Amino acid sequence: MTSISPASPASLVLPPANGSIDVVGVDLAFPTRDRGVLPVLDGIDLRVAGGGIVALIGPNGCGKSTLLRVIAGLLAPQVGRVTLDGAAITAPDPGICLVFQEPRLLPWRSAADNITYPLELAGWSVERRRARLRELTDLVDLDPGVVGNRPAELSGGTRQRVALARALALQPRVLLLDEPFSALDALSRERFDLELLRLWERAATTIVLVTHSIAEAILVADRVVVLSPRPGRVVADIPVDLPRPRSIADLDGAVVSRTAREVRAALGEPMAVPV
Amino acid sequence: MLSIVGTLIVVVLVWQAIVFIGGYPPFILPGPASVAGRFVSAWSQGTIWPHFVTTLVEVGLGFAVGAGLAVIVGYGLARSRIVERLLSPYLVAAQATPILAIAPLLALWFGTGLLSKVVICSLIVFFPMAVATMVGIRSVDARLLELGRSLRATRRQVLTSLEIPAALPSILGGMRVGVTLAVVGAIVGEWAGAEKGLGVLINLARGSLFDIPLMFATLLTIALLGIALYLVVVLVERRLIGAR
Repeated sequence: MTSISPASPASLVLPPANGSIDVVGVDLAFPTRDRGVLPVLDGIDLRVAGGGIVALIGPNGCGKSTLLRVIAGLLAPQVGRVTLDGAAITAPDPGICLVFQEPRLLPWRSAADNITYPLELAGWSVERRRARLRELTDLVDLDPGVVGNRPAELSGGTRQRVALARALALQPRVLLLDEPFSALDALSRERFDLELLRLWERAATTIVLVTHSIAEAILVADRVVVLSPRPGRVVADIPVDLPRPRSIADLDGAVVSRTAREVRAALGEPMAVPV
Repeated sequence: MLSIVGTLIVVVLVWQAIVFIGGYPPFILPGPASVAGRFVSAWSQGTIWPHFVTTLVEVGLGFAVGAGLAVIVGYGLARSRIVERLLSPYLVAAQATPILAIAPLLALWFGTGLLSKVVICSLIVFFPMAVATMVGIRSVDARLLELGRSLRATRRQVLTSLEIPAALPSILGGMRVGVTLAVVGAIVGEWAGAEKGLGVLINLARGSLFDIPLMFATLLTIALLGIALYLVVVLVERRLIGAR
């Protein structure tokens, strides 16, 4: 386990190690109430190069979120292993941060105190936390006027922005996103996808994004990894040949339709999945 | 505020009307004016003050000890199945036994001084506060605990930054109940044997002094003490969790 160096404005650009993730032969099953087992992940192999973006897509309940939790060190697989830059992940690691589907903000804290919560847990002084807070609000484009507000007073989009800033607080090398924008309306969602790309360019992290949307996957990722229904297996690993930087207009191109067709075919739902 | 004053006026008027229509003598039911007069004179002459201080100290210490222990035990009940199985039958049994019935025994064991009152107050405060803490800690959102785990929070950090703040509304709700019960505990303790205190003063006013207006003035003092303590808890609550 490597610890991340303390943040300074200069190190905002590129963390030292590059954040490559290796998932090797991961099997995971949950015990059921009648003492049986429910296999959730079946022999998952997944390699994400440092600084890359991979989208995980698959039907409901195929184990996408479970896989993210395994990578985050929150769940231990029965078989197989996960490494970050060659070091085994067996517990939550400061180099990896998971952004949940819901913002999961502490309702009794202001947005600012939610963002700096990981720094507080890591024992940062008040001055350093304050300085880092400014960098983070810039990074995620958070209106400085609302950082004093409690989560209940913020819009859904702003809350997710706060959650993103909190995730980036300790400069993780890897950001795991579990359908982070699924609660937002379609328009905000596209905007957030593009912002995520800009953020990725600036923060230089590896990103694993779980999504239900083929369009989102193609717009954001270098590769779209398709999982089978439970127990989840990797059934396709489809590269996205779109140049960067990308924009919404790219979604109308021929490359996108071809890639989307491949993803749908891998999902086994020829035209059923809405883009 | 206006409604409080309004209802107060109505209560006083009804009280005066009952005295007037019923024609009760002052040693059965003194009128509001005579009670108010005795209240002022008893305070200004220093009749109530020493008793008031004694009771206040008993309530304060008893509440602090009882609430403190209850929060610790309540946390254990919420987080450990074994603690819950071992303790809960005794807790329920202790709660089901009326404090009035145990008070003489406690006075026998711990004397007629401060200690027995603190023990009785703690006992009466303990149960509602322990249950409130248990419920509060159990209701902490598991998703926030997972967040804490993913951020590598230590056991202690989970307690101070997640569990306690999340359970605070429930714990403070228990305190509202507990603080008023603490006053009851102190009076019961004083009745079971004491030299000083508002409970003692009630007995004195009814017995050797035969000063029924003083008895009413003392009752009024007890009620005001309970209300004041309750308001303190409400203020603390507003300060801590008002803006959520």
